[in-house]
This record gives sequence, structure tokens and C-alpha cells, in this order.
Amino acid sequence: MDKAIKTLIRYEWVSFIRNRFQLLMVGVTFLFGIYAIYYGQTEINAQREVIKEIMELEQNEFSTYLASFKGEPETVQEEQNHDIASKPAFAWYRHGYHAILPPHDYAALAIGQRDLFRYYYRLTGMSLHYQLFENELANPVNLLAGNFDLSFVIVYLFPLLIISFCYNLYSGEKENGTLPLLYIQSISISRIVIVRLLFYFTLITGLALLMSLIGLFTSGSVLKEENQLPALLWILGVVIYNAFWFSLLFLIVSYRRNSPFNAITAAGCWLFFLIVIPSVLNIVVTTRYPLSSTELAGLTRRTGLENENDEQEAKEVILEFLAHKPELAGSDSLIDNNRLAKAYAAYTSLKDIESQHEVDRYNGQVRKRNILANRFHWINPAVSMQDVFTHIVHTDLNTFLRFQDALAIFHEKITDFYFRKLFWNQRIHREDYSKLPEFHMEKSIDRYTVATGIIFQITLLTILFALAGLVTIKKKSLI
Amino acid sequence: MRNLLSIARKEIKIALRERLVVSLGIIILLLLGVALYGGYLSYRQQSRIITEKQEEKRKEWLGQGDKHPHIAAHYGTFVFKPKTILSVFDFGLDTYTGTSIYLEAHYQHEFMFRPAQDHSSMIRFGELSAALVLYVLLPLLIIFLAFSSYTKEKETGTLRLLLSQGASYSSITWGKVLAYSILLIVILAPYIAGMFILSSRGLSSAVVPDVAVRTVLLVLIYALYIFIFLSLSVWVSLKSATGRNALLTLLACWILLVILTPKAVANLSESFYTLPSMRAFKEGIQKDIRDGIDGETPGPVRRARLEKEYLTRYGVDSLHQLPFNFEGVSMQAGEEYGNMVYDIHWEKLRAIFHRQNSMGSIASIFNPYLAIQHLSMALSATDLYTAIDFEDKVEAYRRELVRKMNNDMAQNSRYGEFYEYKATRELWDEIEDFSYVTPSAFEILRYYKLEMISIVGWTTFVVLLLHYSNRKSKPIHG
Repeated sequence: MDKAIKTLIRYEWVSFIRNRFQLLMVGVTFLFGIYAIYYGQTEINAQREVIKEIMELEQNEFSTYLASFKGEPETVQEEQNHDIASKPAFAWYRHGYHAILPPHDYAALAIGQRDLFRYYYRLTGMSLHYQLFENELANPVNLLAGNFDLSFVIVYLFPLLIISFCYNLYSGEKENGTLPLLYIQSISISRIVIVRLLFYFTLITGLALLMSLIGLFTSGSVLKEENQLPALLWILGVVIYNAFWFSLLFLIVSYRRNSPFNAITAAGCWLFFLIVIPSVLNIVVTTRYPLSSTELAGLTRRTGLENENDEQEAKEVILEFLAHKPELAGSDSLIDNNRLAKAYAAYTSLKDIESQHEVDRYNGQVRKRNILANRFHWINPAVSMQDVFTHIVHTDLNTFLRFQDALAIFHEKITDFYFRKLFWNQRIHREDYSKLPEFHMEKSIDRYTVATGIIFQITLLTILFALAGLVTIKKKSLI
Repeated sequence: MRNLLSIARKEIKIALRERLVVSLGIIILLLLGVALYGGYLSYRQQSRIITEKQEEKRKEWLGQGDKHPHIAAHYGTFVFKPKTILSVFDFGLDTYTGTSIYLEAHYQHEFMFRPAQDHSSMIRFGELSAALVLYVLLPLLIIFLAFSSYTKEKETGTLRLLLSQGASYSSITWGKVLAYSILLIVILAPYIAGMFILSSRGLSSAVVPDVAVRTVLLVLIYALYIFIFLSLSVWVSLKSATGRNALLTLLACWILLVILTPKAVANLSESFYTLPSMRAFKEGIQKDIRDGIDGETPGPVRRARLEKEYLTRYGVDSLHQLPFNFEGVSMQAGEEYGNMVYDIHWEKLRAIFHRQNSMGSIASIFNPYLAIQHLSMALSATDLYTAIDFEDKVEAYRRELVRKMNNDMAQNSRYGEFYEYKATRELWDEIEDFSYVTPSAFEILRYYKLEMISIVGWTTFVVLLLHYSNRKSKPIHG
């Protein structure tokens, strides 16, 4: 580093330290960041509490069942419990299993869609679609306002900090009358602008990294294997996103217009990236792929056999179901034992099978919307960055869609478990309680490649703007 | 007065010469057009689907065939949240409130399907509605228009000239405010006119009976809101030494008012008053129904009491001797008990919502953005209180439906029998189709007193502020 640059940096530092307004902004942003981390963690901790509470409810439920196997039942209540615990005709629709999507350690930093989607479900063997669409309680006013989490601070507020530091890097000198002094220095004006930009880049990105590290360290151990890659990607994302805004500011500054013009243009860009483009895209997506959940609403209806006392009808329903599940069609499935329970079980399963394609079509439409929206990522680094954050901390839409798919599989496991007993006329024994169905969700394989791909896109855009800025500033200095 | 007008005229000319401002104005106009068009498209799509579906569900209900009334009560029906015509203007909470509900006996289902769930997290950046353009973007245009109104005169030395010509600060200030108001009115005139035509041509749907009143109120509050921002911008410009400072101050204010506080207030309210989880909420209701609200009168005990009460009242010694089916009575009693329990829990939940929102209302006194946002949603019938009103009416409809089914069962079937009795189409016809009408604008506005005080208060405040500053400013300043 030559001496002139060193001097430049030293004086930049001095002028930064002496500018109370700038210091104040840095301080306020830092405080916002700390609040955002705190808020995110309280939200996610509240969800963890709910999960704990729910698991306790489930454990209580099953320990009552298990306890009923000990000795002869004495009270009516105990007898009832034992029936529910051991007779599949009751158990299949009474035993409730929780499928849970636990938050990633870093979900606190980017809550994403996690406040909107359900992260736990209680499933019984009853119709899946009857159980799938209930919402979590939430205040819509607060959902609309959105979350003040670290990703918000980085995506929304940091660009503003960058703008306020850099919009007058050149024009300010001109307006203060110090520009001629710079012209007579040995170092060229464009170098000066670049060095100053790099100085602020280091400063502001340093602040962003400091906040990110605080967030990452307090939200979960960075050493845990599943946290390493997300932490790394988060940090990379933060650096690239800041770099993008600096390169944009560089381009604006390189035109050497006056300060208000630069400020308006930069604020205009911010407005376009963070408000106008996404809000326009949202409405495009909504009208291009109209989705009406009214189709699905009908699936949630609780229906049963038309005539429960009609033996023939019950038999037909059971036969139809057994055609789908030949492994249950034992020789004794049709004997009168529990016929009504079997018919009802068969009926809801058939209904699920029938309506599954409607649900699939609906989810397909949601995915299409998502794809359409993603196609515009390259024009909007702000939304892409938010997407990167939600991807790496598992709070993106896809995670929830995959959760729904996993629920369907889990539900099938549950029904298989109970229907095997029900249709083979077996009781549920104490030993069976160690082999209960368990929820499992496949890990997403492409989560991190998607995030890396988007970061790469933003990098390209950054380079493009930086080059354009370089060309402009060189061209303008010839004049 | 002459001075004032000629200053206004000059100001308009200058503004029109600013290419940046003109192009921003055009962009805002375009966005407003896109927003209204998009809003209209989705309104049409949604209301068509909802009308279709509602008719379909009605047909299903009427054509469900002969069956026992209690089975019919479980078969139930669906209600879909209608889109209001004013949602074309302000989507409000429509994206975040559930859109359909299943009505059946014994269970109060919650509204399902929040449209935001069909989107990626991009939806959280907001949706372009005309209201968003007006309360988020238009203030920025105003800032860009007016930040240099005084500073430029100061920097170029023309302020001194103006003052030496005998123009007072007061006429210069109000001349500028007037000029920008005229510009904005011209920009927005086609839309305001359009809205009035739409609302007066009886496009008012059956859902919102008082569209005209609401439109007038909307225009009024938006006019005040815009005036507040305009006056503040001119005031900041008057007080600032350079255009750069004025611009930065105004932008900082905008960010604070529009971006930061709304989120912060909502999040704080969430931290102060936490909602229970749905599972815990439902479990609480089920437990109270099971064990009784006092924890000591479980279902069987309540039933035994009811039996005894009826036996003594009718002076008979077995349920079979009652002149009606006791099962129907018992079912209805159970239903009413469930409703009572539900109401208690629901009220508690509503109280939390209410406390959360009242933090927003209090904050709106300091932040006109929050005030206008709340009022705009309220007047467009897309706010929380309209949604709650809708939910209440739907629940009342459900209760009536179940009550009629239980009554029919009590009157027409015999005790101890179930499948032997079947009700027919006649009974289904007795249940009227559900149709929703929003409360009047004034009823809804009762919930938004603080917001209205805020808008009026801020207007008075800025007028006084300008008046006072005009008098205090000394010509030497220039």
C-alpha cells in the first residue's frame, strides 16, 4: 500500500470519527441489529416452548395408554382408557401423533415464513385432509407488519446506511470546495473515490459481520456440523450483499452529479429493489397463477357412510379400500367383527386417496408461483438475499411444502400401523408401543446449492455494476 | 394573496422542469394504475370463485338427501370470506386472514387458508396496492419535490430577492404548499374521479352497503395525510441550511415512520402479549368441555342433571315418556355448553389481539403512517375488526344451524332411536343461505379513535408549526 493511500485512509478515519451524525447512525444500526437478534430468538424460543409443551401432551397421552395395560382395570375410566389403548377400532382415530418441524438453530436470524406456516401437527388415522389445513393462531396485523429480525436489518437497513455514507463521496467535495485540492494530489480522483468506497465497505461490512457473528454465536454453536455451512454461507451472503450496494453506489457516484441527485437516485434504487419490484411481482404472481383454496376447503368436510346401518354399503366400501391395500385383505378382514369401524376407516382412507390429486394440483400451483417469482431473482438482489437467508436457516417456502409431503407419508405410516391391526382383527399389545410410527423428514439436498447459486448471481451483478462504474468514472475524468 | 399565487405558479413551473421529479411522478402514476388493475383482477377472480363455490356448497347442503339431522349438522357447510369491492384499493389484511371455514356441530373450526401461505417469503416485502402507493411511495415523491423548496432559494440567493420584493415568509411557504398540492391533485385527479364514479355507479356490492361514504372518508383522510407530509417537507426545507441536509433529514424521517416503527411496534406487541399455540388453545377448550368449566362437572354429570331436571319438569320417570326426543335436547345443551366454553376462551384470545393492536393505535399518535394504514384498512373493510365481525356472524350462523338440527331431532324422533328418523329437504331449506354485510363505516371507525385523533392532530400541528415558523423567520436569514 503506498503512502498516499495510507494517508487517505487515515484522514477518512479521522473524518468518520469526528462526524457525530455518522457515528450515531452506526450506533443506532448496531442497536437495531442487537434488538433484531433478541427478537428473533424470543420468537423462535417461544416456538421451542410450544414444541416442548406439545411433546409433553403427547407423552401424557401415550403414558395413559401404556399404564392401562398394568393389571385389571378397576374404574370405568380405566376400562375406557384400556379400550382406547388396545382396541384398534378406537385407537386408530384417537391416538394422536405429533409431526414437528423443529427450528434450525439459526432460524432466529431469519424467521421467514415460520410465523405463518404451522410447524407442528397432531395426526390421527382420520382423514389427513381433515387435519392438514388448520392454521396456527396469529394476529394478522402483526403478520402483515412482518418480522424485525437480523435478515431485515441486513436486507433493508444496511443499504440505507451505505447510501447515507457514500452518496456524496465525490459531490460532497465539490460542494464543499475541496475538490480542486484533491485534483492537485498525485493520486487520481477516481482512485481516491475507490479507496474511500473500500474504506467504508470495510467499515460497514465489518459492522454487519460483527452483528452476524453475535447472532450466529448466540443462536447456536457454530461448531456443530449442521451449523457450519449455514454460518459460512450467511457470512458470505452478508459480504456479497454489501458489496453489491457499494458497487451500485460506485456507479451512481461515478456520474459525478450533485449530492441531492445522487441521494434521490440511490434512494430510488433502494425503493425499487425493496418495495416496488417485489410488490409488483407479488401481484403479478397472484394474478398470473390465481389460486383458490376454496377448492381445498371442501376436502376438510367430515363425512361418513351414507347409511351406517346398511351392511351392504359398509361391505362395498371395505372391499373397495382393500383393492387399494391388498396386503390388508386377509381372509378374515370381512368378518363382522368391528365392521363399522373398518368401514369408516376404509371410507376416510378412500376419500384421502381421491382428494390427494386435488391437493397435489394445488401444491403444484404454489410451486409454479414460486418458480415464476424465482425467475426474477436476478433483477432483485434484495429479495434474492432474503431468499438465501431463509434457505440456509430452513424457513423458506420449500421447507414447508416438503414438511407437508412428509406429513402425508407419516399419516400413511400411522394408518398402516392401525389398519393392520384393525383389518386383521388384532389387538394392540403392550409391546407394540415400542414400535409406534415415527415422524421423519428427508433432508433437503439442494438447499445450500440453491443459496450458493443465488449468491453467485448477486456477485455477478456486483461485478457488473462495479465495472460499469469504473468505465464511467474513467470516461468522465477525461473530460 | 397575489404573491402567494404567483409563488405557487413559479413553483409548479420549476417542479415541471425537474426531470427526475417528473419521471418519479410518472412512475408513481403508472404504479397506481398497475396496482388498481391488479387489485381489480384479483377481486374479480376471487369473487367469481367465491360466488361459485358458495352456490355449490349451498346446493350440496340442500341436496344432501334424507338423513338424520345430527348427521347433517356434522356434514355442515362452508363459508368463504367475500372480497369487498374496496379491497381493490387496499388489500389490507386479506392476505393474512383465513379465507374459508367449515361449519359443523360440536366444533368451532378456525378459518383456514391464509393466502400468504401460497407465496414464498417475497410476500413479506408487501403487495402493490393503490393504498401502498399512496401511503408509502407518495410521501417519498413529496419529499423529493419539496426538500429543496427553501434551500434552493437560500443557496441561489433568490430568497433575499423575494423578501425584498415584499413577499412575506407566510406567502412564500403557503404558496409552495399550494403549488405542490395542486400538482398532486392534478396527478391523482383521474383516480379520485374514477373512485367516485365507481362508488356512485352502484358498483357497491351487497357486502359493503356504504361504499360512497367510505370513499369520501378515504379521500379525506388521504388528503390530510398528504398535506401533513407536504407541510413537514416544506418546513424541514425552511429550517435546513442546505438541500442535502433537508433531504437527508426527510429521508431519515420517512424510514423511521414507514419502515422501522411499524415493524418494531408489531413485534414489541407480540413480545408483550403472547398468543397461545393453537394446540394449547384447543386443548384448553376441550378440557373445559370435558371436565366442566369449574373442573368438577364433567359431561356425564351435566347430562345426569339435565335428565333429572327434565324428568321432574314433565313429571315422568323415564326419558322414553317425554313428548320429545331427549337426545336432541341433550345434544343442544351440550352444544350450548360448548359454545359457552368457546366464548370464554375466544374472548381471552380476542383480548390479546386487542391489546396487541392497541399498542399500534397508541403508536399511531406519533406516527401518521400507522394512523393512515389502520384507517385505510378500516374504511376498505379489510381490517381486523371487520374480519372479527365476519367471524362472529359466521359463528352465529353456525349456532343457529346446529340449533335447528337439534330441535328438529328433539321434536321429530323418538328417544333411543337414531337411524329410524330421517329429515328431508324441507328442513335443509329452513336454513337460510349465509350472506355477509359489513358494519357501517362509522361503527368500524369506533375502534380507531386514536388514529383519527392522530390524523387531525398532526394536521393541526403542521399548520401551527408552519404558521409559527413563518412568523419567527427573520428576513436576515436569507
